Amino acid sequence: MSRPQPPRLVPPPDLYGRPRPDRYLQALDWLASKYVPLFTGKDRYGTRPRPPETHPQELTVVSREPVADDVVSLRLATGDRRLLPRWQPGAHLDLILPSGRRRQYSLCGDPADRYAYRIAVRLLPDGQGGSAEVHRELTAGSTVGIRGPRNAFPFAGDRKVLLLAGGIGLTPVLPMAREAAWRGLDWHLVHTGRSRASLPFAGEVARLAARHPGRVTVLTDDEHGMPSATDLLARAGEGTAVYCCGPVPMLDAVQAAFARSEAKALHFERFSAAPIVDGKPFTLRLRDGRELLVPADRTALEVLRADDPGTPYSCQQGFCGVCKLRVLSGTVDHRDRKLSAQQRADGEMLVCVSRAAEGECLELDV
Amino acid sequence: MSTIPPTDRPDRPDGTDRNDRTDGTDEHSDLVLTPRDVRFDWDRVPVHWVPGEPTATHVINVLHMLLPEGERWFVRVFQQAVPLITDEELRERVLGFTGQEAMHAEAHQGVLDHFVAKGIDIGPYIAQVEYLFNHLLGDKEGLSPQREREYLIERVAIIAGIEHFTAFLGDWILNAKALDRAGADEIMLDLLRWHGAEEVEHRSVAYDLLRHLDPGYLRRARTMVVSITALLQLWVRGTRFLLAVDPELAGSVEPSVRTAWTAARRGLLPNPVKLGISALRYFSRNYHPSQEGSTRQAIAYLGASPAARAAAH
Ligand code: FES
Ligand SMILES: [Fe+2]
Ligand SMILES: [Fe+2]
Repeated sequence: MSRPQPPRLVPPPDLYGRPRPDRYLQALDWLASKYVPLFTGKDRYGTRPRPPETHPQELTVVSREPVADDVVSLRLATGDRRLLPRWQPGAHLDLILPSGRRRQYSLCGDPADRYAYRIAVRLLPDGQGGSAEVHRELTAGSTVGIRGPRNAFPFAGDRKVLLLAGGIGLTPVLPMAREAAWRGLDWHLVHTGRSRASLPFAGEVARLAARHPGRVTVLTDDEHGMPSATDLLARAGEGTAVYCCGPVPMLDAVQAAFARSEAKALHFERFSAAPIVDGKPFTLRLRDGRELLVPADRTALEVLRADDPGTPYSCQQGFCGVCKLRVLSGTVDHRDRKLSAQQRADGEMLVCVSRAAEGECLELDV
Repeated sequence: MSTIPPTDRPDRPDGTDRNDRTDGTDEHSDLVLTPRDVRFDWDRVPVHWVPGEPTATHVINVLHMLLPEGERWFVRVFQQAVPLITDEELRERVLGFTGQEAMHAEAHQGVLDHFVAKGIDIGPYIAQVEYLFNHLLGDKEGLSPQREREYLIERVAIIAGIEHFTAFLGDWILNAKALDRAGADEIMLDLLRWHGAEEVEHRSVAYDLLRHLDPGYLRRARTMVVSITALLQLWVRGTRFLLAVDPELAGSVEPSVRTAWTAARRGLLPNPVKLGISALRYFSRNYHPSQEGSTRQAIAYLGASPAARAAAH
């Protein structure tokens, strides 16, 4: 990927400097020249049977209820109440909303319930409208496109666990607490939020606390003051694994304070795409002459993928280098953490994060 | 249509439900794979990072010579295979895989550059590795489109075979307590265990991709033979080479199967018998990589790894 080299036709010299091509590689060369024709003759790609589609692509909202200020919980099932794919704590579902927006919500029900998934959605006043759309459109009886479930926050079931949940961040953590209790682990759950009324699933948390005295702590800013990350982590003894889900400032604070705690491991939900800061619209010109517009709120990669789903990428944060493309003309606003000055000068660009000035046209070698 | 909250039953009296998964385990099969932006500081890491064990150290050091080019080759091959994938979920896993392998290649490249700076002349071996992955296993000129596609799938199959071993080694290194006891360098251990944990985490991807492109048994079995033979030879040659050119040793340590064997018995290297048995499992008709190694253990390590933790979110 990173350094395309012209194929060298002569095997390199012997390892220990004998003045002849390396015999091992010469032998491999000969083998390859026989092997490739022998085993590529039969076309096996088109002949394979397609496995039947097992994951449902659409679910129905079977019930909907408010679970805190501005938070609704939805139960989703297939129209004919079929068995759903299994999931484990930390998993999320992708909702494909009527507008085409795609949003991810953690599953917060019981993994043993094989006929319905439960999610909870907080209405974000300043979000990009996904949560507002869920609150407005997804009434009981409506249908919604889904993908998944997939898990980006897996629970390892460590012997000692501290579960830290901020507000709606309880959703992936609640099934973890139940699994921890079920597995007989040494666990503790801390749920934080502005006020009691803002905490989702307060009733379920209270029942969990009643059944497992001393294992659940609820801290609200109005009653207890804002807890510091150090206070939160103080509950982690030696060898504890911490699972944390909440608003970004909470995650950052816990990560920063982690080294000073006794805990052994720290787990977050892992987000993929980095947010676009101060993006301007620009254009991409492809080898075939077509021009694609990159709007201010989308990345060049998203636009290329919409055009060709086979476009390579991976981290979407500008560090892995998989999405690298060559720019033939135009000035790139490099925003990655990977390319060297030399690579940039050679016209390389990481399209997952890097952009161009408003109205600029980047001519790409694809 | 129930309006009763489904959850919060007493601690899962139906707990047995957890064990009736089709694959008979409670392994995670739905993990989102994404690369982790790890960084390592090699400055203070010695070449002989298992003190007093030159043979064991160099057997493992061969990894640093093979992986940068090898894993870049994985990435190139998989990138070419992406357009052939018709399953959206598999495509995402394959893309996650490529990013993880790209990061592995860079991390091991860091070690390699450090070794070169310490005066080990590994140039001749690296030239051979480059020849192997860029030319011998690279794209071939003059193939028909159909042959080109089959050759691509053949290489995916070779990678699936190699990934069986990387998952085996990943599982081994996560459990190799003997290396801690022997005082192995912590940064090097973190590199190997972070890499090993991601290998365990993504161990099914190459195999599932192969099954998607060609579910046949013959290709899988044939390419495993290729992978085993090639890896074994590369390893033996690499170890002998490192022992010969390492200026700190100045040729004082003879390559010896016996020394390697005793190191393996003491847990400093993987047990060759277990490795052989594991390779045989790949030929079973019921083989699936998810049956090898423990995803939970890999996840637990990725939360504890200093490098992976610093790279989180
Ligand atoms: S996708 Fe990783 S650098 Fe762009
Ligand atoms: Fe790897
Ligand atoms: Fe791998």
